[in-house]
Amino acid sequence: MSFFRQNRKLLLVLLGLVAFGVLRAPWENRLREQLVKQRLLLPPPGHTALQQMSQSALMGTLGGLRSLVATYLSLDAFGDFGEKNWDELQRKYRIICNLEPRDETHWVSVVWHIGINATAHVQYYSEEMPKYERERRFQQYCSEAIKLAEDGIKQNPKSAPIRLQLAEVYREKLKDPCNTARVYKDMLGLEGTPGYITRFYGYFLADCPGKEKEAYAYLMRLFQMGEKHHLPTLFVKIKELEEKLNVPFPRRIKTDEPERPDKPKKPSNVLPGGIVVP
Amino acid sequence: MSQPSASLNRKAPLLSLRTVWTIARGTLTQLIRMRTFYFLLAFAGLVVAIGNFNIPETPAKELSMIKKVSFGTMDLFAWLFAIVSTALLIPRDLEDRTLYTILSKPVRRVEYLLGKLFGVLIVVGISLTVMYLLCGFMISFRESVYIAEELAAMEKDGRYSNKEIRDQIALISKHGMRPELGIAVIASFLKAAVIAVVTIFLSTFASSSLFTIIISILIFLIGHAHNMASSFWLHQSDGSMFVQQLVKVVKILIPDFQLFSFSEGIVLGEVVPYALVGQMFLLTAGYIIVFLLLSLLVFADKEF
Amino acid sequence: MSEVLEKNPTEEPVETSPLAVEVNNLTKVFSTGIRGDHVVAVDNLSFEVKAGEVYGLIGPNGSGKSTSMKVVLGLMQASKGEAKVFGLDSGDIRARNVTGFLPENPYFYKHLSGAETLQFYGKLCGMKRKDLKERTAELLEMVGLEHAAKRRLGGYSKGMLQRIGLAQALIQRPKLVILDEPTAGVDPVGSREIRDLILKLRDDGITIFLCSHLLEQVQEVCDRVGIIFEGRMRREGPLDELIAIENQTAMTLENASPELLEKINELIKAEESTKLVEQGHPRTTLERMFIKIVGRKQDGGKS
Ligand SMILES: Nc1ncnc2c1ncn2[C@@H]1O[C@H](COP(=O)(O)OP(=O)(O)OP(=O)(O)O)[C@@H](O)[C@H]1O
Ligand SMILES: [Mg+2]
Repeated sequence: MSFFRQNRKLLLVLLGLVAFGVLRAPWENRLREQLVKQRLLLPPPGHTALQQMSQSALMGTLGGLRSLVATYLSLDAFGDFGEKNWDELQRKYRIICNLEPRDETHWVSVVWHIGINATAHVQYYSEEMPKYERERRFQQYCSEAIKLAEDGIKQNPKSAPIRLQLAEVYREKLKDPCNTARVYKDMLGLEGTPGYITRFYGYFLADCPGKEKEAYAYLMRLFQMGEKHHLPTLFVKIKELEEKLNVPFPRRIKTDEPERPDKPKKPSNVLPGGIVVP
Repeated sequence: MSQPSASLNRKAPLLSLRTVWTIARGTLTQLIRMRTFYFLLAFAGLVVAIGNFNIPETPAKELSMIKKVSFGTMDLFAWLFAIVSTALLIPRDLEDRTLYTILSKPVRRVEYLLGKLFGVLIVVGISLTVMYLLCGFMISFRESVYIAEELAAMEKDGRYSNKEIRDQIALISKHGMRPELGIAVIASFLKAAVIAVVTIFLSTFASSSLFTIIISILIFLIGHAHNMASSFWLHQSDGSMFVQQLVKVVKILIPDFQLFSFSEGIVLGEVVPYALVGQMFLLTAGYIIVFLLLSLLVFADKEF
Repeated sequence: MSEVLEKNPTEEPVETSPLAVEVNNLTKVFSTGIRGDHVVAVDNLSFEVKAGEVYGLIGPNGSGKSTSMKVVLGLMQASKGEAKVFGLDSGDIRARNVTGFLPENPYFYKHLSGAETLQFYGKLCGMKRKDLKERTAELLEMVGLEHAAKRRLGGYSKGMLQRIGLAQALIQRPKLVILDEPTAGVDPVGSREIRDLILKLRDDGITIFLCSHLLEQVQEVCDRVGIIFEGRMRREGPLDELIAIENQTAMTLENASPELLEKINELIKAEESTKLVEQGHPRTTLERMFIKIVGRKQDGGKS
């Protein structure tokens, strides 16, 4: 008797659970969509990332310790940086970026590690390797860094720091003014873009074959915006372009450079935030 | 012979808030005197350790890491504490037969359950507030240290314009202590509230604290991982029918705890849409009401 | 009570019964195990406790005493039959306004002090702060725990717990007090005090329903007793009636020498119609009857 009653109650409870589950499912799905859209909730990491995780990291991630696992992995990856284990580092960062795709600092770090440090390492410190291999690896790291940066930008379309790091790879490593200028152009107007990018965009555009007219127009606009923009490099670049484009003399700018103390150019091994590349 | 008709005729409201409050207060006292708050000391120690993270990274990144780790730990402590303290309460009253004396007073079972839930929520609320203050203090402190350092470094050789300096400081502040982080704490509270009411529901079935704790943690982890794991699992199993059905059943039976992890985004500095937070409050209320009703269904004619 | 009545003249009166407790054909079946095995703990039990009397339920371990009490208190539901308290169904929360309960081996929140425990239960009964404070002091004195009022129950001895349990049961000035083995685990002096307390409560007009397997205690305080065994009422009635066995005579001797006993035995043997039923050190007659009932049952006999 009482056993039956017990079961009936159990059934009722189960029914209640199911009814509530069915009722809340659409609401929760909608809420999840909105939360993900508002970037408050992270979309689930891809299976490749999950597959690559160690057992404990996987458990932690699934158990709601996603941020903690990501942080732990990034500390761990720092060890690989010290050991110059670039491939391992990249693998870890792939997982980290998958866990926290919206944290742009992860993307910035990995692009910096692969695009700047790993490339420098194969270029200058891997003498035991044949030259051909070194060059091939250099190219490989560059394209991997670019790919990583592009993935990061896809996740964080408004991120200036990732673009800045990407531009660095194009500018310092690949010596590619066209792409450098393209990335700088994307940065214009983004929150967090350093002020000098406005000028740098023009400078690198000027060096991009075929873009001279565009660059000239842009730099002249900057020039006309006032004294504040009259920096030595601007004069140099405009002068170069005047030559290249054969601008008629009357329309050329005056050659006397402003009397300004030469501000030392920021060394290229200093990243925004003051990190010095070893 | 005197007749107790007057007392018998005393009104018996369906729910006496006074009784609920008495039980909640009792629960609060119990948890305090059981020294459960000592876990806050562990948290304080942890926060200090986190605060002294010395990562060769930029200050902004370091701050953001400290923030993520400390708020992540806070979230973890909140739900774990909610489970453990709730699970210690009802089965213990049952084991010790304290429940006999309580229920033989004019106390309705719903009042008892509500009282226990409120007691736990108050304790979780207090703990979260304390943890928040600890973190807030530590992060603000680190932030001010970083800003001072950066200012000194940037102003030293005059290479940077005022705007560049301001931008840099703003970047650090963005990753530092901001008022919206309070909402992240509220998110953790909502999560803890839902798992607390689920634990109460379980403890009306269970006969021991240990059993309740283990099952609650399991349910929490499943509810948390479900969304993330199901696609992974479906992929791994090549979308087998069995797995598909299982995923559906779990989704219906187990609360979606991952939804309550929206503190993650807030900690990363995303904008907080208050309407959404309001909806999450409603959802939490829904969980509390439904699970309390289910608990009551079990508990109403439970015999000890 | 009249002055309390005057305070609530508008309340719709409940039809009060002269019976404090009324148990009619109560059956309680527990299902144990998954295969639907069950134990009949209480079997078609009926009895009444009149307002103002002390009623004792006695029976050996496992006879269903505690179970009956829990049903009366609404802590358990009857499988069949009903239990009423002052005419109210035992599940009615209002019945608990006038009922105090001391469970067997009571256990309270270890972290509370004696005074805090009483205050906690008083608040649950909706008592006002000032009244509660006075009542707490009064009860602590009554059960002799003033000195331990501020100590946590974790440090209380078993007897102290029993007393604080008694005080807890009395906190809201109930009209009916249900005591499950009130003297279990209490030393002789303490148990004497508890019995005196019960008598005092009765003099104050409080109905007491207690159970025990310690017969001499029941014997001393109860107006009426019911003997319960295997969930069924075996005998019930005023104590004097139950324990009087007309055709037997008990003799209690002091300093009897073996020679004297031998002589008496000879004399008894000489008499045709007299039989020596029992010889030994004296026992209470109630206990004897108790053992008779239980013993007969265990021999397979019927009552
Ligand atoms: N919750 C329960 N589940 C199953 N069986 C129970 C339960 N409570 C009591 N019983 C059984 O019911 C019977 C009566 O138990 P009860 O506790 O009423 O006895 P009692 O007369 O109070 O005994 P004691 O003097 O030892 O306290 C016993 O056989 C007991 O095993
Ligand atoms: Mg008993």
